[in-house]
Amino acid sequence: MHKIWLICKREYLSRVKKKSFLIMTLLSPLLIVIFYGVIFYFSVNRDLAEESKIVLVNDQSSVFENKLEDTKTISFQYKKLTDSEPKLLLESSGAYGVLTITNKGNNYTYDLLANEQPGLNTLSSIESKLENVLKNKELNANGIDQKIVNDINAISVKLLTRKNTDDGIEKGNSGTTTIIGFLGAFLIYFFIFLYGVQVMKGVIEEKTNRIVEVIISSVKPFQLMMGKIIGIAMVGITQFVIWVVLITALSAPVSALVMEMMHVDPSTLVEGKQVAGVSQEAGISEIFSSLSGLNIPLLLGLFVFYFIGGYFFYGALFAAVGSAVDNETDTQQFMMPITLPLIFSIAIAQSVINSPNSSLSVWLSMIPFSSPVIMMVRLPFGIPTSQIIASMACMILGFIATVWFAGRIYRIGILTYGKKPTYKELFKWLFRKN
Amino acid sequence: MIIEIENLNKRYQNHIALKGISLSIKKGSIFGLLGPNGAGKTSLIRILTHITEADSGKILFKGEPLNEKHIYKMGYLPEERGLYKKMTVKDQLLYFAEIKGLSNKEAKEKLKYWVDKFEIKEWLGKKVEELSKGMQQKVQFIATVLHEPELIILDEPFSGFDPINAQILVDEILSLKEKGSTIIFSTHRMDSVELLCDHIALINKSEKVLDGEVHAIQEQYKKNQFEVKYQGNPLISDDFLLVSKSTSKDLTHTCIIELKQAMTNNNLIEHLISKQISLISFTENLPSMEEIFIMAVQQKHQIN
Repeated sequence: MHKIWLICKREYLSRVKKKSFLIMTLLSPLLIVIFYGVIFYFSVNRDLAEESKIVLVNDQSSVFENKLEDTKTISFQYKKLTDSEPKLLLESSGAYGVLTITNKGNNYTYDLLANEQPGLNTLSSIESKLENVLKNKELNANGIDQKIVNDINAISVKLLTRKNTDDGIEKGNSGTTTIIGFLGAFLIYFFIFLYGVQVMKGVIEEKTNRIVEVIISSVKPFQLMMGKIIGIAMVGITQFVIWVVLITALSAPVSALVMEMMHVDPSTLVEGKQVAGVSQEAGISEIFSSLSGLNIPLLLGLFVFYFIGGYFFYGALFAAVGSAVDNETDTQQFMMPITLPLIFSIAIAQSVINSPNSSLSVWLSMIPFSSPVIMMVRLPFGIPTSQIIASMACMILGFIATVWFAGRIYRIGILTYGKKPTYKELFKWLFRKN
Repeated sequence: MIIEIENLNKRYQNHIALKGISLSIKKGSIFGLLGPNGAGKTSLIRILTHITEADSGKILFKGEPLNEKHIYKMGYLPEERGLYKKMTVKDQLLYFAEIKGLSNKEAKEKLKYWVDKFEIKEWLGKKVEELSKGMQQKVQFIATVLHEPELIILDEPFSGFDPINAQILVDEILSLKEKGSTIIFSTHRMDSVELLCDHIALINKSEKVLDGEVHAIQEQYKKNQFEVKYQGNPLISDDFLLVSKSTSKDLTHTCIIELKQAMTNNNLIEHLISKQISLISFTENLPSMEEIFIMAVQQKHQIN
């Protein structure tokens, strides 16, 4: 154990002491916060990304005159023109486009003449404004009051869900549950990949530098491998904890700053939400109430379990790959079978969310190759305890198996140089004597 | 005896690496493991250093069967050398010492001695990748001996050294020997070992060809040849064979002569003096290790 500890300490300190670790650890949360700040900014102010445009409406039918509602980026001006005028006017007035509407009875023809091919957003805005006018006209013609029309348009339905469990009925919230599930799954996926590859690179470094011979003369290969895997896991956990702390601390000031800098009017935010039919406060309280409906300690505990279990499961395999080759370019062939199940499980997470209790979902959450990711997705929806225990047992058995398997390959691999081994040779290594 | 090896065998998938090797290595000696590339030297060293296991055979370390605790008493410098490039010299040396069983405190104390000796104080905080190759070799050598091992195993220690560093290494090996360490080193270059080694073993094609004290082996394989430099009439006698002869511009003859069984050195000198030539030098022509190796391998072939 002392040896594993020594190796673990070296792996940890040599990485944590590096300048790049410090820079990455400090910069990443900042980048993430800024990244989300920008996305958030554009999602509330989608129209800011576009310039405001003036569209001249040449309405020959007189149906639309002064009835088209302006949007944030498009304002309509009305002017009757002769056939040849639009082109000339477009060139002289600086307007974005000229919309010519003609009709034969109830058959309308719309023609937008612009200096460029209009974007999809612009087209669909104009189309929906035109549709609204026609719909209102039709409703009014059938004797329905404009006020009733407005009331009808304001109708919005929000379905509340409740879940029947052994402990009674719980309030559910699929939106929040989905987000939490995805977040956990993605973090685990990210962590396994990032640090699994570091394990592999570390093994290759020791092997190509031949340091391994000096170390193996006083440490068992298995100890070296485990020390490395644990040490790098601790680097990851350290980095993760720092990130969580930093992101939590930075999120509020940075998002305030971003809004300030971009001159977002807070009233538009609230307004936007109210139009959608849910006030901001109601939305937040709903998220909190659905969070309290989740078993947070269990979720967190299992997150840590699958976080570490999944990393060990894959980390050992990455170590085995590193030991089998002489340089990084040779790893591709052996990386495939390891990364495929990982990519597959994050890709299939969407369909697991849609039906978290289908037999596919259950099976994927049992197989250790996919269970760390899939279980994170399924957990917030609530799953039977028996399934959780079975999946955890499989995870533990799985990582014991991969650590054994990797250890067998590793002990031969690190001292074998030259030709890249075939799968057949790797299989033979499993059962070879020292 | 610090190491006794009995009938050691090791085979890999496709070939036999060691076949019935028996050796014993005296405490406090310098032992040379000689043989061409691929003879099995590194395989033997890897078994001694516990990196791999033998298929059969016995190894005793100071009379006890070799086990894990003996590893702490060994220092091993592998043929292909390497250090962690991104680690500082100090961290690296302390790490290796701790892996060899020293406490952090002990390691620091011992490091001080070597830092003073090699005058590398200002290098301690540098990363290995910033050092010259010669410096790296020194660092690696310190890493090998820092925990004061009783047995130091050097695999091809001179490969890649420039003449100055090679001389430093030779001096260090000799001073470690004086302090009581036993040193085993392997090499495929047999020219320089006569000066350094007390004992040698020759290995060829996974088998031991011969082993013993350097002087004893040279005695055993010498052909009673002498190199005689003189001026005067050519030497002719029934008592010896003229193996080779050359004459320089100033008419100095250099002859290699091989004595016949009955003749002694004294007889030869008497003979030379009686011939009234002017003798310049007279040395016994001992066979080089390379020649001995070739002879021994040929003999072994004939026996087989």
